[in-house]
Amino acid sequence: MTERLRRCLDDFCANTQCTASPEFTSETLDRLGLADRYTTLESTIGPVYVAWNPRGVSAVRQADDTEAFERWFRKRFTRRALPATSNPAIVDDVRRALAGEDVKLDIDLRDCTPFEAAVLHKAQEIPSGHARPYAWVAREIDRPRAVRAVGSALANNPVPLLIPCHRVVRSDYTSGEYVFGPAAKDALLEHEGLHVHEIEALAKRGIRYIGQPEDNCFCLPTCGPDLIANHNPDNVELHSVDEALAMGLEPCTTCRPIAA
Amino acid sequence: MTAALPNFEPVTSVDEVGELLAHALADDVDLAFEQVVRTYQDRIVSVAARALGDRQRAEEVAQDVFVRAYRALQTYDRPRIRKLRLRSWLYAITLNLVRNAVRGKRLRTVALERDDGSPRPIADSKPTPESQIETQTEWQLVGGAIAQLSPKLRDAFVLRYVEELSYDEIADALSQPLGTVKANAHRGLMNVRAFLEEQS
Repeated sequence: MTERLRRCLDDFCANTQCTASPEFTSETLDRLGLADRYTTLESTIGPVYVAWNPRGVSAVRQADDTEAFERWFRKRFTRRALPATSNPAIVDDVRRALAGEDVKLDIDLRDCTPFEAAVLHKAQEIPSGHARPYAWVAREIDRPRAVRAVGSALANNPVPLLIPCHRVVRSDYTSGEYVFGPAAKDALLEHEGLHVHEIEALAKRGIRYIGQPEDNCFCLPTCGPDLIANHNPDNVELHSVDEALAMGLEPCTTCRPIAA
Repeated sequence: MTAALPNFEPVTSVDEVGELLAHALADDVDLAFEQVVRTYQDRIVSVAARALGDRQRAEEVAQDVFVRAYRALQTYDRPRIRKLRLRSWLYAITLNLVRNAVRGKRLRTVALERDDGSPRPIADSKPTPESQIETQTEWQLVGGAIAQLSPKLRDAFVLRYVEELSYDEIADALSQPLGTVKANAHRGLMNVRAFLEEQS
């Protein structure tokens, strides 16, 4: 009897065990005002869908229509995004950030691996008007050999534009892959003041660094918009670190062209 | 009464996840609450479905459980949240809301029968046709056995032997002394056993 009772109870538990419907979490969170909401906002590259939740901004994406965005969001994050019904403060913050203002934003990176998060945080440090090579990011986060993985992590950026993955470029200063396409990447960098084609042309001639004897330092050619634009006759085109060091120049503390 | 059923203690574990979640909730209710929902939603829906025999109604009640829990958490201070035994607390809310949902009627614990007496499928997994008849009979019998228990025996029995909570958690969920819930769970078990013996 004991055996039978145990079996009966086990069967009872198994047969009456339920899994909540796929909508359950989102619907419940929505009732509490905790679900992801989204709206469209203007950006340099045109309108983008922006989603957020109490953790911060969760997604920035271009999509053909709301249905396509919702489908993508659900596939990517396995939760639902609902159209916004109010206009919380975070939307204004994102709007200002997309317009180029320096705004401190909370960003929801819970679905990223620690490595991906490290890459994205590093990309966040790159100022507007600057760019850094993939290898630079890898070196800065102490994973100098993980250059390809850096590229993947940036491709996986849930909030492009807000985390400026477009400011990370190839070592030959061609722009490389971008979620909104390479042309959009060039356009964004140009918009921020970087002379993409001039820098590419320098790289083609083997110029890797710009020496600034006035400041006794040498930089990456992408260390701010003025470095190339000003055509300062005192600046020196350099092919290698050795060349720079031989001139007695120190590495720039902003773009950190070599490992500390 | 204590002529026991040896080796029949269900495996119960401390709700370690609940402890971690309680700490996370104490830090920030809004950030941690989604994980609370994800962690407990299946259990809560199951409890409600077993009691109500209606899957859709069970989801509504389960949603109400989380809404009520969230609202309560917003009024608790951090030390209180940190000390919360999350699993038994959510069960307590569920039992209250299930009672409200069937107020005025006899609690249809495991009222899983259709009008023709065949079991109403509420679970996700369907038994294979070969095993269907035997399985349905068995769990239908257990359902009937549980339904005929008095409410106090039923709550203690179900939390112990179906939900597999520890006695401490059950005492917490039912706001009853430990000795009372142990006695009630045991009496419920004896009662269910006697019912099944009668049926066979």
